[in-house]
Amino acid sequence: MTEAGRDLRLDVFRGLALFCIFVDHLPDNMLSQFTLQTVMFGDAAEVFILISGYTAGMVYGRAMDRQGFVVGAVRVGHRVWQLYVAHVFLFVTFMAIMAYSVEALNSSLYAEESQAADFLNDPGVAVVKALTLQFQPAYMDILPLYIVLLAVLPFALAGFRRWPWAVLAGSLALWLAAQIDPRIALSAYPGPNRVWAFNPFGWQALFLLGAWLGWRGVRGALPWLDRPWLLRLAAGFALAAFVVRFSWTLHGLYPPIPALGSGKSLWLFLSKEDLGLFRFASVLALALLVARLVPPRARFLAGRAAWPFVVCGRHSLHIFCLGILLAVIGHLVLNESFGHFFMQVVVTAVGIGIMVAVAALMDWFASARDGAAGRVAEGAPLSRGES
Amino acid sequence: MSALAWPRDGVIALLVVAALGLSSAPGPVLGQETACPTPEGFGAFEAPLPKTAKALARGKEVVIVTLGGSSSLGSAAGGISQSWPSRLAVALTGRFPAARIKVVNLAKPRQTAREAAERLAREVLPLKPTLVVWETGTMEAVHGTGVDDLRETVQVGLDELHAAGIEVALMNPQFSRDADTMIHFAPYLAAVRELADANDVPVFHRYGLMRRWAESGVLDLRTRESEERRRLAARLYDCIGRAMAEFVARGGPVGEPPPGRRP
Repeated sequence: MTEAGRDLRLDVFRGLALFCIFVDHLPDNMLSQFTLQTVMFGDAAEVFILISGYTAGMVYGRAMDRQGFVVGAVRVGHRVWQLYVAHVFLFVTFMAIMAYSVEALNSSLYAEESQAADFLNDPGVAVVKALTLQFQPAYMDILPLYIVLLAVLPFALAGFRRWPWAVLAGSLALWLAAQIDPRIALSAYPGPNRVWAFNPFGWQALFLLGAWLGWRGVRGALPWLDRPWLLRLAAGFALAAFVVRFSWTLHGLYPPIPALGSGKSLWLFLSKEDLGLFRFASVLALALLVARLVPPRARFLAGRAAWPFVVCGRHSLHIFCLGILLAVIGHLVLNESFGHFFMQVVVTAVGIGIMVAVAALMDWFASARDGAAGRVAEGAPLSRGES
Repeated sequence: MSALAWPRDGVIALLVVAALGLSSAPGPVLGQETACPTPEGFGAFEAPLPKTAKALARGKEVVIVTLGGSSSLGSAAGGISQSWPSRLAVALTGRFPAARIKVVNLAKPRQTAREAAERLAREVLPLKPTLVVWETGTMEAVHGTGVDDLRETVQVGLDELHAAGIEVALMNPQFSRDADTMIHFAPYLAAVRELADANDVPVFHRYGLMRRWAESGVLDLRTRESEERRRLAARLYDCIGRAMAEFVARGGPVGEPPPGRRP
């Protein structure tokens, strides 16, 4: 990463993750058989959190170097606030859709089992619990994680300056504890046994490792990352993950194809809730391979084919929220025409088209505004990607 | 459409059907006399239940215990006599008149996997069942509780049942377009599938079957009017009971194959 330009690889892969999250959120979508989750342990969530950690470490690490801890921390706080507002906005939309569909649910065969999705009986409590991030209905689980992770970032960044290894070791120890002890989790609403869909005590390790790499990357290269054996290890793991995971996909499509290495012994390492070891390792291996094999100035990154990814990755928060809304709307559309593969393709394509169009509009607006205000050469491109 | 027509999650079926543009035309069917045909090859790739199938075919005593929630209790159809386990008993008795078949329905409204697992030792094992059909994942999906937890809980239960020499079949949640909007089923369906694969037990893919029926217009699961809904539920549970009878008898040594059944 150079000081001057953005590392387009971050935008491209964040854009890819956003598209995958959208496709995976459309229920019973055939195309979700062909997203990141098909070829690696883990899915777009890991990619999103790792890149977000990396970018945040880089951007806010630099801000903290130049402007001090307090200003850096306030900038992070401002970003956390934006994320929180986005979360509340999504929640309000969710409540509106629920209020609209609850009658249908209550007259369906699910009436007794869901009992009006319980929370609508006590909407006051649900609203309070959403504000405290404890109520995380379907699709609304990753923003609360991100908010909490970003909120602790200033302290981690301050720690990196003095005792980077201690911070990383502590972070990994906490991750390990979360793997072993199910009590290391945050409780969610409605209880009593419900916990956060993404356990922050597990997922923080990925975010903070990413943040450290971003923070450290500004200060010069890390030579040990270039060791050939590390690359070989990553390639070996990524290949094994691909073969195993893809066999599961094929097995799901056509059962006589055996699912390799599936079985209870692997479950502990594949936990999405706590970020199991294989999911963690899978995304790190993939990131290392991409970092080594795709040069930051690769032609195609600035080309036409990569542009939709870049532009969405650059406005990731807005496009993420938009993707959630589009997934819900797409769901309602697919419900009316379900079973048609053609419609799944159409809804997916239209949704991605809208995401790209809105991102392009935001991009155009940002550059028009920056142009009018005179170039704030340094702040502007960064603040657009602060996430 | 050959055996491909019913893969475990119906994905290839969707592809084939979409490609042919035949999505509303029902395929070749089993048991034509039922109002809701089971697609050919349904359950063909699932692990068999040899003990149960053998006991049925040889006319022995067969005790089947069912665990689950409201949808296994028949509430929406007006009572337990309309539930799919009761219909299963009727269908099996019709097909294996010599066997002494007893279906004990231990379903409970809103029962979670954990609650069901806790009842195994005290309430299920003493009945000495040949087969336990465990409908699971529904309340977990409704509540959005952790998938890891569901897997662990059911795994412990499966170990307990297998240790007692009891055969087990899992049943996944119901399909409903209305519920689908609010409840995210995919991870729970996958968890039930993984549990089955890891333990070599079959899954009765109720979600896929109901989806198929809804898609092909066999059962309009969206009925709003309450009396009509009750009739619909009764018909649905009857269909599921019949399909389950086919499912548990798969691969049995003898027994009367219904017309159209593949050798």
